[in-house]
Amino acid sequence: MGLTTIDKQYPSLRAAALASCLLFLSACGANQVIVDSQFPQPALDPIPMTLGVYFSEDFKTHIFVDEPKAETERGWVVETGAAQVSLWQTILNAMFEKVVYLEQAPSTETPSAEVQSVLIPTISDLQYAIPAHTNTKVFELWLKYDIAVTDNTGDSLAEWSMTAYGKTPEAFMQSNQEAVGAAAIVALRDAGANFAVNFPKVPAVSEWLQRASDETPLREGTP
Amino acid sequence: MNTSKLTQVISLTALVFILQGCVTAKVDEMTYNPPEAGIGASSVVLLGRRHASNYDTERDFVQCVRDHIQAKDDTIEIVEESQFLDALYPWFEPRTAPMHPGAIRELLTQPAVTSKIQALDTQYMIWIDGNTERTDASGSMTCGIGPTGAGCFGFGTWSDESNYEAVIWDFSNQAEVGRINTSTSGQSYMPAVVVPIPIIAPVQGTACDGIGEQLLQFLSANY
Repeated sequence: MGLTTIDKQYPSLRAAALASCLLFLSACGANQVIVDSQFPQPALDPIPMTLGVYFSEDFKTHIFVDEPKAETERGWVVETGAAQVSLWQTILNAMFEKVVYLEQAPSTETPSAEVQSVLIPTISDLQYAIPAHTNTKVFELWLKYDIAVTDNTGDSLAEWSMTAYGKTPEAFMQSNQEAVGAAAIVALRDAGANFAVNFPKVPAVSEWLQRASDETPLREGTP
Repeated sequence: MNTSKLTQVISLTALVFILQGCVTAKVDEMTYNPPEAGIGASSVVLLGRRHASNYDTERDFVQCVRDHIQAKDDTIEIVEESQFLDALYPWFEPRTAPMHPGAIRELLTQPAVTSKIQALDTQYMIWIDGNTERTDASGSMTCGIGPTGAGCFGFGTWSDESNYEAVIWDFSNQAEVGRINTSTSGQSYMPAVVVPIPIIAPVQGTACDGIGEQLLQFLSANY
């Protein structure tokens, strides 16, 4: 039975397995980081369109778990879910004139009546490096996202990957957890910047935006 | 304050000066069109460059330069770095920050950015790029604790080197109007016979004073 099947058929089993894993790691004294940050209001001119956004449960509760490689090491548990939602809501609300957050993914069975297109971000990878790993004085964190834009029935309009990077130097009286948390916030800010600046430059997105603007003429005076 | 206390304060101050390691500093300055009557009611922002992979300009160095300028001329309004970065998010993140003054012109085509910059009334943007690093360290020290007391014995020495460059951009003309370089190096010592005596070379502090003084002369009508 593949992991995907477990996800679909036994969500409670997966939650229980994850909870056991977290309990095990915390009992061993894993480094736990909860990234929960407020992000600044972006200085962006909104695109005059309505966009649907779907955050999956995995996205909203994203946790990165790294088990220790040796008995002398401590594992890491980095919770980024709340910060991910906060960042993407902040960015998308500023980038688009209207954003509708959907409770379920668009599909032919449950097409959204409110929106014509839906953005679905997914975290596909998270990696970190601490001075003990790299022999440098920097804490680093990388994020990789898979981003999809679909129509309201779930058919793909555009798909692309996006990376983000954050680093923070070692500081006096700063714990490893605080430093990884700070690097995660820098990485999330970078993710927002990368998305906001490069979104219209993705070829498939550019074509889609062009089609959307042809169908719905832009308001006068709006760039 | 009685005479004995005054003697103690003078002795302590003298000891602090005597126990500072030696620092060699070099400052190069090249500025054009300084504001003859100062910057008036306009503001300045000092920003650290953080796009390099192997170093970040330290936030506390940027803060030190800011404090140096404001301590000598409190009429110069300097916007907090974090306040500016948040107000102009996502345009001044490491990934998106303009690398040349011409890029400001492109940024100002966006109404959301223009209104934020107008609200801050920023006339000069000063980019500080560089860092302080430990170039060498040697010696050893052993500390112990016993029933009769504790103590250390040994000798340590290390050298630090700072290289910073401040580049001044004029926001109104979107042009570079100055460049200040500072290079400092110094050797610190820590002999220990029971009590460790740190003789620290203020390498980063000297670089901060060097850049701060030159920027003060550029920005202030009183210097």
